[in-house]
Amino acid sequence: MLVNGQVAIHELEVWIFGICSLFWHWSVQMTPFLQVMVCSGDGAHTGCTTLIIDLCGKQGIQIYPKSAKGCTDLLRWPQISTCRSPELETFSCYWTDGNFYNLTAPGTIQLLYMKRNDEDWKECPDYITAGENSCYFNTSYTSIWIPYCVKLANKDEVFDEKCFSVDEIVLPDPPVHLNWTLLNTSQTGIHGDIQVRWDPPPTADVQKGWITLEYELQYKEVNETKWKELEPRLSTMVPLYSLKMGRDYEIRVRSRQRTSEKFGEFSEVLYVSFSQTGIEFVHCAEEIEFPWFLVVIFGACGLAVTVIFILLSKQPRIKMLIFPPVPVPKIKGIDPDLLKKGKLDEVNSILASHDSYKSQLYNDDLWVEFIELDIEDPDEKNRVSDTDRLLSEGHLKSHSCLGAKDDDSGRASCCEPDIPETDFSASDTCDAISDIDQFKKGTEKEEDLLCLDRRDNDESLPTLANTDTQRPHTSTQSQNSQPWPPFADSIDLASPSVHTQLSNQNSLTNTDFYAQVSDITPAGSVVLSPGQKSKVGRAKCEGCTRQNFTMDSAYFCEADVKKCIAVTSHEEYEPHVQEQSCNEDAYFTAESLTTTGVNLGTSTAETPNSEMPVPDYTSIHIVHSPQGLVLNATAVPVPDKEFNVSCGYVSTDQLNKIMP
Amino acid sequence: MAPARAAGRAGAAAALALLWLLVCAPRNAGSRLLTVADLFDRVIRHSGRIHSLSTALYAELEKHFPPRDNELGKPARKCHTSGMLTPNGKEYAQKIPREELTHLILKLLQAWKEPLSHFNQHIEHHQELPDDSLSKAKQISNMVHELKTGVEKVTEKMQSMGIISNSLNGMASSEATGLSISNEANMMSDSDFIHCFRRDSNKVQSYLKILKCRIMPESSC
Repeated sequence: MLVNGQVAIHELEVWIFGICSLFWHWSVQMTPFLQVMVCSGDGAHTGCTTLIIDLCGKQGIQIYPKSAKGCTDLLRWPQISTCRSPELETFSCYWTDGNFYNLTAPGTIQLLYMKRNDEDWKECPDYITAGENSCYFNTSYTSIWIPYCVKLANKDEVFDEKCFSVDEIVLPDPPVHLNWTLLNTSQTGIHGDIQVRWDPPPTADVQKGWITLEYELQYKEVNETKWKELEPRLSTMVPLYSLKMGRDYEIRVRSRQRTSEKFGEFSEVLYVSFSQTGIEFVHCAEEIEFPWFLVVIFGACGLAVTVIFILLSKQPRIKMLIFPPVPVPKIKGIDPDLLKKGKLDEVNSILASHDSYKSQLYNDDLWVEFIELDIEDPDEKNRVSDTDRLLSEGHLKSHSCLGAKDDDSGRASCCEPDIPETDFSASDTCDAISDIDQFKKGTEKEEDLLCLDRRDNDESLPTLANTDTQRPHTSTQSQNSQPWPPFADSIDLASPSVHTQLSNQNSLTNTDFYAQVSDITPAGSVVLSPGQKSKVGRAKCEGCTRQNFTMDSAYFCEADVKKCIAVTSHEEYEPHVQEQSCNEDAYFTAESLTTTGVNLGTSTAETPNSEMPVPDYTSIHIVHSPQGLVLNATAVPVPDKEFNVSCGYVSTDQLNKIMP
Repeated sequence: MAPARAAGRAGAAAALALLWLLVCAPRNAGSRLLTVADLFDRVIRHSGRIHSLSTALYAELEKHFPPRDNELGKPARKCHTSGMLTPNGKEYAQKIPREELTHLILKLLQAWKEPLSHFNQHIEHHQELPDDSLSKAKQISNMVHELKTGVEKVTEKMQSMGIISNSLNGMASSEATGLSISNEANMMSDSDFIHCFRRDSNKVQSYLKILKCRIMPESSC
């Protein structure tokens, strides 16, 4: 179709003749354009021109729908921007023109509306009241809770459409008449509280309860940028606390309908300035911020104190205060230093007597009674002799003291289970006295008894007077010949306290007390001569002696046990059973026992002979286990620095120190 | 003896009655008015809560079931209570008699009782809805029932106090039953259903507020 030279671009009847070359030229501006070739002429001659039409430009053809993509220089279509009702009684709708009027003939834009029940569209009743490009519906046209639809159109086309219900578009007017009053000021005059009041928007009919409004207050200092918000509330007055009197504030309020979420416009800003009220206030130059300075100072001081404290803690005293030493196993009365010094005499005595320590408990009961014992009574001797007991069926009861007569002298103490009943001879006591002294320092009572013993012992066993480190040896020798008299003497000291001494004297050669090593088996285990007839309250222990194995612990001298086994194995070669029955809490290793048992068979011949001189002291040969000891029996009972492993507990530490 | 005893008994009864009158009656008279105001406040608050819940539920349903693209379809949304003649503006609400307003409120509440319970049963089968929404729906259904009871109590109180007449008592229930479930209600989508209810809950709340301020203009309106 031929068109004139002037293209009526506002008409949609431009025929694009020829090849429609729609260039979508996405230039920097991203504006699509249309290249049109227009040819004109009559049939003979045709002249063509090419037009490039910027579709987004003002001259562009309205080809696009309302949202023209890519058009930065835009062709805007009319749009309904918003419809709002300030008070739920009227509402108005506002729209924007776009640049429509510039392009087209000034056609009129209309706003049409339709209620739900209507048949067709009606025109806006009032274009003026609400301003330009607006439509105002007064109360007679407004129906709440009824859906409306409005559309923006001219004769031909619809530009925009919107549907809503009036109760959903409520956006109240801002509150009015803001004012403030001073409530009170702080004592320093730096801060103050004010009360802000306002009136609800005049259009909203809150009086009749038709609409309920919520208010939100915002305030800030004059030179700040960010507003502080308060919670929405229903009341029209709000206190503001702790405002700085030296500063000026701005306050504004806005409202919304209670059931909706959108707020209306803000009210006018209210300026709060305290200087106007004539209140004197202190001008604070600067607010006190968090006192970092003080924090640093105090932190440094604390650190310094801590460092000094740590340094001081190097000193042992303070260190001990803070970290008290962990108690290590220790034998009472035995100073580890003593062991270090190597005074074995003392050590021996101490070790020997340590088992009597437990009997200190009973020191209160001084059962110092002298038991008259007919020493010459062989029966008694036999009866009381541990050796005999060991050798015999062991029918002797554990209750009998060392051959003590059934006197009424401290028998009970003898026979009390806990009491470390160690048989000892008076001679032993004698000999042991010198060494016992040290040990007895801590026990005065025992000292007395010792004295007593001493006297007795000295008298009875002069042979033992030459007590020295070899005292066990000598006593042994002396004793061996007469095993029983010493016992008899010792029986005198039947008091439990005496027993302590006696236990000391166990270090002496009283074989009945101590695990006197009689022989060393090839296997390396020790055969002990019959030792003490301890009266451990283990009545069950038949074959075994009543040796009280230890005073303060459940440990048994291996030696003692072995002795026990030695006896029992005499009958049978199954010491194991006896072992068990003997010592419930024997701490010796089973194998040592078995070996001993086995070996005992060979050496049993010796055991019954308590008279045989046996080495008293043995050196520690092997430490089986932490609890076990294998003692080397010296061929000759050489008084050495060995000591009998008395029936008592020797701590491993000390043993280790003493071991060669 | 007998007459004396009878006289004594009568005297005692009279004394009791007099005592009751002295003690109870004056207080009742004063407290009744207060009670009505309190009752009104309570039901208004209750209806407000219902409205908030239904708004929230509607938002959630819109999220889960996006609305149709056809916006023109919106006005076609027909609620089953659309047929009811209710005042759609403030003036109308203020003009109609109190009894009618009260009656309308009750009618609305009655009209929603059954559909809500049906709706509840219906959406329980919806697996994709969060438990929150389901609990809201249940809450709404319960609260509507409570609100109806509350409004009935207020009505009784007002009638006993002579604030409103007793004329329209019987009508409420009979009319309301006519508005029970129709097929339309069943055909509506869930979000439309809740949208309708939300609108009606707003109506109920507004009517209650208007009614209260009409009856007791001095109390905080």
